[in-house]
Amino acid sequence: MPIIFVCSVPFGGGERLARILAEKLGYAFLSRDDVVGKANECGIPVGKLEVATVKKPAVRERLARLKERYLAVATATICEKAAEGNLVYYGRAGHFLLPGVSHVLRVRVIPEHTQRLDTVMQRTKLSRGKAETLLCDIDADIRSWVQFVHGVDMDDFHRYDLVINLEHLSIENAAMAVCGIADLPDFRPTPASRKAMEERLLQARARIKLALDERSADADLTVRSNDGVVTITYMPRQAALASVVPQVLHDLPGCQELRCTVASTNILWIQEEFRSGAATPGQLIELARRWGAAVELLRYRPDEVDEVDGAPPPEPATSGTKPGAAGGVEDDVPETVSDSDRAFQDALALLVHSGRSGGGQSVAGNRERLVSAINPNIPYSLVVVGDLFLKKGSAVRTRMTRELTNFLADHIKAPVIPIAELAARLRFGPAQIARLAASAVLMVALYALVFSHQETVLNVLAGPFHNAHPWGAVALVAVLAPLAAGLNAVVTSSVLRLMKLD
Amino acid sequence: MGGLFGGGFMALTWVNAIIVVFLGFVGGVLSGFTGSGGAFFMTPGMMNLGVTGVVAVGSNVAHRLGNNLMGSLKHAKLGNVDKKLAIFLVVPALIAVRVAVWINGRLLHVSSGHEGGGEGAVSNLYISLVFVAVLTAVGIFILRDALRSRDAKEAEGPSMRVVNFVAGLHLPPYVTFPVADVRVSLWLVVLVGLVVGYLDGTVAIGGFVGVPAMIYLFGVPTSVAPGTELFLAMFGGGLAALSYAYQGLVDLRLTFLLLLGSIVGVYVGTYGTKVVKEVLIRLVMGSVILLCVLSRALALPVYLRQMGVVRFAPYLDAWFNVGSTVMLFAAGIGGTGLILILVVRAHIAQLRIHSTLQVSDPGLDS
Repeated sequence: MPIIFVCSVPFGGGERLARILAEKLGYAFLSRDDVVGKANECGIPVGKLEVATVKKPAVRERLARLKERYLAVATATICEKAAEGNLVYYGRAGHFLLPGVSHVLRVRVIPEHTQRLDTVMQRTKLSRGKAETLLCDIDADIRSWVQFVHGVDMDDFHRYDLVINLEHLSIENAAMAVCGIADLPDFRPTPASRKAMEERLLQARARIKLALDERSADADLTVRSNDGVVTITYMPRQAALASVVPQVLHDLPGCQELRCTVASTNILWIQEEFRSGAATPGQLIELARRWGAAVELLRYRPDEVDEVDGAPPPEPATSGTKPGAAGGVEDDVPETVSDSDRAFQDALALLVHSGRSGGGQSVAGNRERLVSAINPNIPYSLVVVGDLFLKKGSAVRTRMTRELTNFLADHIKAPVIPIAELAARLRFGPAQIARLAASAVLMVALYALVFSHQETVLNVLAGPFHNAHPWGAVALVAVLAPLAAGLNAVVTSSVLRLMKLD
Repeated sequence: MGGLFGGGFMALTWVNAIIVVFLGFVGGVLSGFTGSGGAFFMTPGMMNLGVTGVVAVGSNVAHRLGNNLMGSLKHAKLGNVDKKLAIFLVVPALIAVRVAVWINGRLLHVSSGHEGGGEGAVSNLYISLVFVAVLTAVGIFILRDALRSRDAKEAEGPSMRVVNFVAGLHLPPYVTFPVADVRVSLWLVVLVGLVVGYLDGTVAIGGFVGVPAMIYLFGVPTSVAPGTELFLAMFGGGLAALSYAYQGLVDLRLTFLLLLGSIVGVYVGTYGTKVVKEVLIRLVMGSVILLCVLSRALALPVYLRQMGVVRFAPYLDAWFNVGSTVMLFAAGIGGTGLILILVVRAHIAQLRIHSTLQVSDPGLDS
């Protein structure tokens, strides 16, 4: 059964609907107040954080670390409660904490305005006008908060599975409708979605442990987890964390392996299959070295749909003949790791070996699911879209990849390039050399022209010629200054690229 | 301080040329490191070489023309430019730029009328006073912020008194800027535009006010403010450069020499931001700015003497100029040197660090 997230604004009947839902279904109930209480216990002043981010936007960037801790506590609280059994959560936008988890039913409740106003007037003893203003302010603050915390517009109804308008629907009947939808197979847990939730929990727990330890509390870290492997990325200026992080996370439940990478930025590589022997990993590692970046792998299967829990397990792959006994210790159970999984693990291992690992994850489904799996709080310098839609024909593959690249470019705040462009960025071949040579020659010629004809130039800029034709100076500056700047920039960036210092 | 054509254009020697390239390099490093434009170092540096203040400003503004365009395009690609906000700011800014350039041009031609004086003393004094006044406030603010951040466990942020005061004012009409996701009084936008344009046109340091104003007064995210400011500077700075050119106050040779050094310097400075702690960046920035202010302040008596406001022996001019130059170069070389040392040290340390530490089964690790 799904985790049901009921999202609403205060005084609108959303909490009552959530409680009725939990009672009818026999689910546990958790509210935002519980999460905030837990966060306060962990030393996160949520009230202050809210006021600061809503009323004092200038400090938002400085409070980003506090925000991440709050998100980690919220995620861990919800996941731990959900692990005990089914759950109804009431809050503002809790479902954004579990991207990639498909057994989540996201319900948005639109309150009936008059009733809401009456409730506020009754509780606060305010006049109608003041109550209206109060509700407007509250709604605006909540919208700001959700935008700050999750980077999304909470009124974007595409982000919900069900929107309930209480104008004509009673809360009890609305709850019954939600019960019916929650029963649908579309919202049943799948192995992949359970795993995604476990990863979120592991990641959140790691984040909390690092935040609570004073040695790492102030560090600027990125935490990811995949298959029990926790990857911590930290900035070059925090080199001391290399020895601290393993000590802090040594008893993290569920963590099978810990990887720490020093990186000042991140590159995300999206691909359907990470085949060994391809040139791309080498190119990306080369680029990552130059940029001091960690490379995160995202295995994306656009055509797949997760299997629902309870479906019979797939037949284990067996070879045509039973292998004969070799006399040594043998496995009874044949290896079930697919070639694809192996290639993915190999690619991750290659990144670890080259010191550029930023972790990895797998996502299946549509492109909205892909975008939701990409953490908006991680700063990516580049997103590389590799080989996708492998089951399609060449022309369709090219078109769909291009469409996906454009879609990602619209939704992610980072440059998104197809894999073919990667080589162009790295290559310093004949075309780049010609460009450097031409720019250098032009630059030298321009400088020689100006400095060998100083009197003429100054005459146009400020001499008798200028007195007669002042627009000549304007034209000269308007043309030559940007031209010189552009040529300087091309030569400098090309030389730095040639020296692999870009 | 004689110059070619009486406009403050200095005779260029190899030594002067190398010094100007060096000024550009230091300005570029400081610019890349601190996110500012570097004019707070380059302009007084050129003035110390004997360039008339307004020609130093004009040449510096012209050298930023191309950089502003490229920087703005890069930010725009990342979605970090609120063009609507930039346009609302650019209209008052362009008016203020024209006024500032006109004032500078007029002051340049005011004769000092005093023995040992010359054309340019009044405009030099004016530019220096604006420079000292604005950058003193900026430098103290940055240093205080940095010292507070160093002591606080969690960054507390700047003083909120101004922000709270502005938030409490009710100044309709309000304008909503979707990319920056803020709603700001139009009067405030116009005021900030005027101030930024005036400073850009006078001493080319509009960004020092523009970026913090957008962040702390408007509430614009720090990722959007610099990009929007660059977009604004593209027009404001562009108009300033062309206006100065029209008045015959741009020395293209200085512009070209500054470019030679500044573009390389920006790469070095930008790399430094990745490896140096943020608090240290702000400490360096604040210290260098205040030293530049002191350097400029040392030059003020010379201009006052040339205008006849104070009296002292003319031979002391050289001492004041030397003192001002030494202090400025100490600030620039000290700041750049420190940044370079930190960058090299961090780079070496990074090469030595085992970049990915892999720990299997952390429970077994004690």
